[in-house]
Amino acid sequence: MSDWPTAFESELLRLGLQPARARRLADETTQQAAESAAPPADVFGPAHLYARHLVAELNTPTANFPRTRYQAGPVMLSLTGVTKRYRRQTVFEGVNLTVRGGEVAAIVGANGCGKSTLLRICAGLTRPSGGAVRRTRRVGFVPQDGGTAGWLTAEEHFTLFGSAAGMVPGRARSTGAHLATRLAWRPARQQRAQQMSGGTRQKLNLVLGELHAPDLLLLDEPYQGFDQGTYVDFWQQVLAWRDAGRAVVVVTHLLHDLQNVDHVLDLGATA
Amino acid sequence: MTTLVVARLSALEVSRRRAALLLVITLPFWFYLVRRDLSGQSTRALTLGIGWAVSTLTLFVVNASRGVDPRLRLTGASVTGIIAGRLLAMTGVGLLLALGYWTMVAVDQNLPHLWAAGVMMLVSALVAAPVGSLIGAILPRELDGALALLSISSVQMLADPTGLIAKLMPFWSAREVGNYAVDGGSIDLVWRGLAHAGVTWLICVLGTLAIFHWRLRLVRYPEP
Repeated sequence: MSDWPTAFESELLRLGLQPARARRLADETTQQAAESAAPPADVFGPAHLYARHLVAELNTPTANFPRTRYQAGPVMLSLTGVTKRYRRQTVFEGVNLTVRGGEVAAIVGANGCGKSTLLRICAGLTRPSGGAVRRTRRVGFVPQDGGTAGWLTAEEHFTLFGSAAGMVPGRARSTGAHLATRLAWRPARQQRAQQMSGGTRQKLNLVLGELHAPDLLLLDEPYQGFDQGTYVDFWQQVLAWRDAGRAVVVVTHLLHDLQNVDHVLDLGATA
Repeated sequence: MTTLVVARLSALEVSRRRAALLLVITLPFWFYLVRRDLSGQSTRALTLGIGWAVSTLTLFVVNASRGVDPRLRLTGASVTGIIAGRLLAMTGVGLLLALGYWTMVAVDQNLPHLWAAGVMMLVSALVAAPVGSLIGAILPRELDGALALLSISSVQMLADPTGLIAKLMPFWSAREVGNYAVDGGSIDLVWRGLAHAGVTWLICVLGTLAIFHWRLRLVRYPEP
């Protein structure tokens, strides 16, 4: 695709890089692709995603340097006094949380305290009984389980979710495949979701949540079934999203996850 | 575009359920085979079998998508786009099935109005997709839905075609057109059947849309 370098450079500029640096990176990337004797889109995937990936990577700390943190951006999610009741039973009440772009928030608490319900409220899939929610329009939701069609392959999922977001099938497939590589996953062409391991299915879930480049990602214990390496990749990815200016809300019960987050919302014991 | 993608992938999904597909597709054939010596009975049973097969396949597809639909909505798909895609795919599957069985009947039987037999099978397939979709919307489990469709088909088969109960069943239209195809008589039978099919189709489609609009509704929050 001939306009790939232009699109790549434009996205770098949009992400805040200096024009000279954006131009240099675009030239270098085009040169690298030429050395591989392949179009840049085949080597690096969609221009806009590779630009975001590169910007995030440029801000990833090396072993010797601490990770550079951006200043928190605009508010992406705001919960004020949110309450949920099912008939007479109160699941939680008076929940407050504000998450800005470039921040990660964790929702913790005992089993049955309403973590997943709160995340569904944030997504807009469940209506709160009280309180106020404000949320950015572009949101990605990754459920704890399910969320995929068992008889379809990963590529077909990319096409399906891409079409829902208004993407043409080819672009949706290449974007999905590119995002999958960041989780060290190369989707097999013929493998259906029901034939995937639990961890691989969760990777598919994650990619589907991110496919349309949302500003706010809502993740409900998305690492179930991940091996140690993938778990580390997952948190690197969360930090990359954060550094690219996105807001991330993760439901978790693993306390050592909390060192990576900016806000912790403890819903407490079982309702 | 979502409609066409959903339609294509739904058809693909059905084609991969090999065992279920084979069993469901051959069921009308067994209905036909047991009374092959009686043109009227065998053709009517075959038609009802087509209705059951297509509605059951649609039910499977609707139920298999329960986890995906809310996420598709969040990503930007409309309820109408999702439902229309699914109905389009299953109607296509039904029409193919009806065409195949009509060809078989054309070769194997000597009916007074063969074209009307084709209309009877097409009507059955056309009505079956939204019937299966509506049952799938109401009953969330495959077994429950399949049993409900079995009950509907059984009542349709056993009820007196001139009575109220038979007319309230979704496949009465096919029986009415079938009367003309098999026994002859007034062409009004065909028109009455088509009118019944039209009303049934509309009720089932609107019912499905209403239930899914409610189930897949998203809370609209103001931006921060």
